[in-house]
Amino acid sequence: MSDNGMTIHLKIWRQAQGATSGKFVDYTVENVLPEMSFLEMLDILNETLVQKGEEAIEFDNDCREGICGTCGMVIGGVAHGPHAGSTTCEIRMRQFKDGDTITVEPFRAKPFKLIKDLVVDRSAFDRIQQKGGFVTMNVGSAPDGNAFPIPKDHADHAMDAAACIGCGACVAACPNASASLFVSAKISQLSWLPQGEPERARRALAMIAQMDAEGFGDCSNHGECEAVCPKEISIGNIARMRREYLKGALKG
Amino acid sequence: MAENGSVAWSSVGKKVITGITGFALMGFIIAHLIGNLTLFIGPAQFNGYAHFLESILYGWFVIAFEVVMVFVFLFHMIAAITVAWTDRRQARTEGYRYAKNAGGKSRKTLSSTTMIYTGILIIFFVIGHIYLFKINPSHENLYATVSAAFSGIGFTIFTLVVMVLLGFHLRHGFWSAFQSLGWTNDKYLPLLTKLALVFAVIMAIGFFVIPVYMYFSGDSSFTMPGGH
Amino acid sequence: MTDSKILDPKIPSGPLAEKWDRHEQENPLVSPGKNRREKTIIIVGTGLAGGGAAATLGELGYNVLNFCIQDTPRRAHSVAAQGGINASKNYQNDGDSVYRLFYDTIKGGDYRSREANTYRLAQLSMGIIDQCVAMGVPFAREYGGTLANRSFGGVQVSRTFYARGQTGQQLLLGVYAALSRQIAAGTVKMFPRHEMLDLVVVDGRARGIIARELLTGEIKRFEADAVVLATGGYSPVFYLSTNAVNSNATAIWRAHRRGAYFANPCYTQIHPTAIPQLGDYQSKLTLMSESLRNDGRVWVPKKPGDKRRPNEIPEEERDYYLERRYPAFGNLVPRDIAARAALVECNAGKSAYFSDRAVYLDFAEAIGRLGKDVVADRYGNLFAMYEEIIGDNPYETPMTIYPAPHYTMGGLWVDYNLQSTIEGLFVAGEANFSDHGANRLGASALMQGLADGYFIVPRVVSNYLAGAKLKPVDTGNDAFKAAEDDTRKYLQRLLAIKGSRTVRDIHWELGRTMWNNVGMSRNAEGLKQAIADVSKLREEFWQNLKLTGNDADLNKQLEQANRLSDYLELGELMARDALMREESCGGHFREEHKTEEGEAKRDDANFTFVSAWEYTGANKEPFLHKEDLKFEFVELKTRSYK
Repeated sequence: MSDNGMTIHLKIWRQAQGATSGKFVDYTVENVLPEMSFLEMLDILNETLVQKGEEAIEFDNDCREGICGTCGMVIGGVAHGPHAGSTTCEIRMRQFKDGDTITVEPFRAKPFKLIKDLVVDRSAFDRIQQKGGFVTMNVGSAPDGNAFPIPKDHADHAMDAAACIGCGACVAACPNASASLFVSAKISQLSWLPQGEPERARRALAMIAQMDAEGFGDCSNHGECEAVCPKEISIGNIARMRREYLKGALKG
Repeated sequence: MAENGSVAWSSVGKKVITGITGFALMGFIIAHLIGNLTLFIGPAQFNGYAHFLESILYGWFVIAFEVVMVFVFLFHMIAAITVAWTDRRQARTEGYRYAKNAGGKSRKTLSSTTMIYTGILIIFFVIGHIYLFKINPSHENLYATVSAAFSGIGFTIFTLVVMVLLGFHLRHGFWSAFQSLGWTNDKYLPLLTKLALVFAVIMAIGFFVIPVYMYFSGDSSFTMPGGH
Repeated sequence: MTDSKILDPKIPSGPLAEKWDRHEQENPLVSPGKNRREKTIIIVGTGLAGGGAAATLGELGYNVLNFCIQDTPRRAHSVAAQGGINASKNYQNDGDSVYRLFYDTIKGGDYRSREANTYRLAQLSMGIIDQCVAMGVPFAREYGGTLANRSFGGVQVSRTFYARGQTGQQLLLGVYAALSRQIAAGTVKMFPRHEMLDLVVVDGRARGIIARELLTGEIKRFEADAVVLATGGYSPVFYLSTNAVNSNATAIWRAHRRGAYFANPCYTQIHPTAIPQLGDYQSKLTLMSESLRNDGRVWVPKKPGDKRRPNEIPEEERDYYLERRYPAFGNLVPRDIAARAALVECNAGKSAYFSDRAVYLDFAEAIGRLGKDVVADRYGNLFAMYEEIIGDNPYETPMTIYPAPHYTMGGLWVDYNLQSTIEGLFVAGEANFSDHGANRLGASALMQGLADGYFIVPRVVSNYLAGAKLKPVDTGNDAFKAAEDDTRKYLQRLLAIKGSRTVRDIHWELGRTMWNNVGMSRNAEGLKQAIADVSKLREEFWQNLKLTGNDADLNKQLEQANRLSDYLELGELMARDALMREESCGGHFREEHKTEEGEAKRDDANFTFVSAWEYTGANKEPFLHKEDLKFEFVELKTRSYK
């Protein structure tokens, strides 16, 4: 589409598996086109590294269309980079200028153990989900889909929260490394639906207890999480999670 | 982190504690400001107001109130310090080498990131304030004590600076208390953040004008009519 | 080598509508409690089919081992499906029924799918919706609180349930929630970041797998009483596709090498509305939802080589070719037809201003009719995504689109019980070949994934375990040892090549060969060329691959090389299958077999069968077996959307 290739300087965090520390390594990529995705630029860099016999930079990625939640790095100091409402894979190089220097760091939080280079372990999210992010019912016991009418705005609120892709950017961006937005999205989704009603007290208490046990920080209401969330999930869900928690705690 | 699994001292429990105590403290400063405004009516009225407070329930009200406020302050501080200092440090042992604010919808401000510092300054100010205007002075003529305190330019300016910091604290603290207790949603949150600014400015200006007024027109030689 | 066999699909007898119920009633079950706890089932994949089956078998009380290559089961590629899921609920009172959904699916698949399977799919579709709603999937609702529906290409009723443009994600998160509950309950043991690299067959039955832990490179053995593969399709054989970059065919291909037949490999679905390819640096093609064709009009300049900007081309010099060629369905013809029509125009030199491989999708008429706000409300997020990638604003400049590989109808051959030609090996979801024939209708992939996962696999695996007399095996068995050794050697062989071409470089070349010769339009000459080229490229791969790192570390280059080695065999099989199938049907279009108007021409007399290929060794010709497709309930007709 365009012939105006850019030169991009990168400072990328490299850390071997098992190492206790890493460092920034400088790279330069030439002929970067504005329509390239950020990850495609890293692909090109990796191709040149492999050609030189150096190890490729490891970064998690999969669908490359912003829905699987696999990718995630801190680009230029911001989780998922400079474009609001986008995952790392959706960032296009048109967001940058010729000659820019971009730092690339992994998501940092103690519960997100660094595995290698930019790859981190987000299994803490799975363990939180396992504590109550579901409706207890077996296949076969469902009533007709239209048996319980759900007001459209309730369904819409549930969907807003359910859009979470579990990427972990909220934790990465939070000054306290809190997982509140992630946890609240699931609690909030099920609190809007009649199907979530029977277990709502238990769910909120159990998921939050697990969030704390994983070692995530507490929330200071900075709202950085919402600003970097690729699905623009609102901190209104965090308020709702606290209501659910209070109701659960007071019920005993 | 609630490693012991305590419901009240969990990450959310601590927010609730900070929020409730925050509301109590905001209620207190509103009442405190309204009371202090009697300074503008006149020295006798101000002293009268002080006497009135001390006379309720034969003085037991003030004592009970003070005990409650000590706990409110303590819980607010301890919860906030664990959130913003200890838990935070444990949750991110290795920090970013380069980090920026996300901007956009973020509510991270100078005010939100300095809560812990403005809070600590305010608590020191409050301790000094209590010593100066509560423990030390003549209980008969508080007005004279206040006037004397604000007759010097140094103390007046120091007080003004602290009042600005109080404004900063409230600018985040006001809406944050609602959010911490879950008393918000997407509809009211933008309104609450705007109200927070209004509240912070009113409180800062309110507490700002007293030292300024006293500095320029206070009369430390005032004596209560009727002797003493 | 064996003689060519006619495969028995083991379809239950009786009327179409009663087959599944009868089958459920007649087959043995495993009693609850200890008997189930002692049965171990390996399930590879955590998408709608794999995750759904793992959760459901866990609920039933079996001991389930569930594997995925992702860091968490919630990222399986089902997550990326946008549009919706079909079910014959007839909530809209527009005359829908199980039979109509069945018929539409058979017709959409160009009469190359198995009647009994497709009917069962239509029957189970209703239960899927009920199940998902009960699990808290936030489907779109009407103001009255009932479920909303939308319509999709190729059908005349409104039966698609959806959750904004993220239906796949929401259904997968439902599966993930159910799976999480079973993991917590201890019935399912989850192995994320584990890749299955071999199937272990003992005494003719699938009894385990060899998997590599991707972080450490550790090769592990796992034994079980039955193995279920639900690892998705093989579109990345084209390199550029709408699939995730880690989607791969390794699990099914390794099972194929161990004796599972591969069915209909040439049936691939090319989706008509993806963002055109822009350059050689690209890693994937981005899908623009099929729903865009509800309001967008597809056109190209009438004059070949006309490279003016679209807004400079006057109305009378535009050719709205879908509306011209298919007046009855217009822009909403099925995917295979829309895709091929774009190819025909581009081959004639008529294309968008910046690329020879792009056509316009124009919303000017819709904006005029509905207003910009309504169009923004319907497609705003897609328009924004498009503008970010291409740099043109679709509200002002027509969007450009081009077909992209999207889904593979082919896969491992399975009988009615979803059992492959290896006993005890079951295959579900896109990984099997079963329900879509030669072309899949929109919103049917999610339906099949969940039908297999929630309902069919749990039943047929139970039946198998109850009926089979399995001897105990343990991982110390020779077959496990041999399979592990093979796997280890295979990876070391890859690392030892030390040539000069990267994985991406070779995969790119494979992709171009496949796309040019085994893509939307195929002919004998091109297919023969592809067989030769892929075979040569495979040879080069094994002599000239360049890898870095080692096999005891997280090494994505190695993972991709290993997967590419399988694609280099599968690609050739696809070309062979396409060459064998001397007819045009659905997504398989042979230029030698078309009507005078250029439409696909089936040869029902000679090709009403499923091809099922047997692996005979690397670089050896595969062996063709057949399953005859018997149409007892529908009449074979020529599809017409004119």
